[in-house]
Amino acid sequence: MKNEHKNILIIGGGQASAYASQEIRKHDSKSTVTIVTEEKFLPYERPPLSKNCLVDKRKYEDCLFFSEKFYDENNIEVKKNIHINNIDFNKKIITGNSNCKLSYDKLLIATGSKNRELEFENNDLKNEENILYLRNIDDSKKINLKIKECNNPVIIGCGFIGLEIAASISQFEKKVTLIEKSSQLMGRVIPEEISKLVKLKHEQEGNIFFLNSNIKKIEKENKEFVITLDFNKEIKTDLIIIGVGSIPNTSVFENSELIIENGIKVNEFCQSSIEDVFAAGDVANFYHPHYGKYMRLESYKHAQNHGIFAAKNICGLKESYVDIPWMWSDQFDLNLQLSGVCDDYDDMVSRGKDIREGIIYFFLKKNIIHGACGLAIGGKVAKNIRLASKLSEKKIKISKEILSDTSTKLNKYL
Amino acid sequence: MSDDWKLVCKVEDIEMEDLIRFDHDDKTFCVYRLEDGFYATDGICTHEAVHLEEGLVMDSEIECPMHQGIFDIKSGKAVSPPACDDLKTYPVKVENEEVYININ
Repeated sequence: MKNEHKNILIIGGGQASAYASQEIRKHDSKSTVTIVTEEKFLPYERPPLSKNCLVDKRKYEDCLFFSEKFYDENNIEVKKNIHINNIDFNKKIITGNSNCKLSYDKLLIATGSKNRELEFENNDLKNEENILYLRNIDDSKKINLKIKECNNPVIIGCGFIGLEIAASISQFEKKVTLIEKSSQLMGRVIPEEISKLVKLKHEQEGNIFFLNSNIKKIEKENKEFVITLDFNKEIKTDLIIIGVGSIPNTSVFENSELIIENGIKVNEFCQSSIEDVFAAGDVANFYHPHYGKYMRLESYKHAQNHGIFAAKNICGLKESYVDIPWMWSDQFDLNLQLSGVCDDYDDMVSRGKDIREGIIYFFLKKNIIHGACGLAIGGKVAKNIRLASKLSEKKIKISKEILSDTSTKLNKYL
Repeated sequence: MSDDWKLVCKVEDIEMEDLIRFDHDDKTFCVYRLEDGFYATDGICTHEAVHLEEGLVMDSEIECPMHQGIFDIKSGKAVSPPACDDLKTYPVKVENEEVYININ
């Protein structure tokens, strides 16, 4: 690789950006590396925002990926509080607020995702201080305060974020009402049985679910809200937290020539449709050679490793990103883990009887594991979920009998 | 000095390419059995206070069950993010088919 001086600009200040900047410095000590972010903090971990930070078990200042010293020592500039208004891909210049104007030779877009907003009739309620979304540290701090004050909280949306917040609220011995428009928790990617086990755990802790329920309207009555569901059920609440999914944060590029289809379309080398422009993390809809299709992921490990691979390719190493997708969710003492692709299979088999020993569903395609999803108390499924990733990555054929037999160790088939 | 060696288990209690958790006082350790012998590290991941006992042991490495940070078992070195601080390692010996760890 030619180690000539370049201006490498990274926009977005999350996990993909932090790890990309670290990786660039492993290969290139000369180029200018600048991260431009809307955040007022250095890049930080988001998983604790719905879990340990909400229940005061982790301090917000302990969530940084790297300290200020790391960026200083590695000569990486982090420009905070910058909202980008425009990108000129021909002149290779970005402009933002506070007279920010920066040129680049190589650009990495890692702007992440943003919350999908819930549509409901009375828009005037959108700025209510007791109707909240979770995306960043400030949101988490607000929710942390509000859940201690509230009496009858409601969460709209039973995805991972909504359920994790509900589990956190339960630790203050408050019962949460959860509303979900579909028929099961955490979407159709999660096996129905696992979804039911998670629901049962929430119910045992006192939480109440309304599935198959659309919001008809939300009205304010004195200090409370009244949520009316489509079958005219009314729910009174003093705190509404909304978690109805995320969308790629691409609005600033939408009138440009950059190809965007459910995120910025990139190849397996993180390259976009425009030369010298790369994308990584939640914002990228990337080609995955192992599955032969494009996918967009919103997960911790993906953001980290996609950022690292984008950096390698920015530095000219030409390495394709083939990581098997992996994510987890913690709710109460339950740990859910998912690897690969669980919604495209021709056969499936389960392993384990209950959450005490761990229960895993393997999804197979032509006798090769395509995806796996497990649930257990503590980290009991972690090892086999990881082995499922490795077996899948190596495309090793494995029988349903072996996968379902808990006395057979899966590592000997690698 | 002999008091520094603590009995962990019998050799047969740890399968090849696997580990056993060992708690002593307020500390948790992991004792591993690899092809070329027994090794020990701290039992808690340096990244986010997670027990490593459910992690995958493979190719002389232990992978955290929570965030998949990876450590070299023999040196304790963090080899894959998000782990960046190394694990402390401890001497291990086998006597009369029993595994001992020196936790000082």
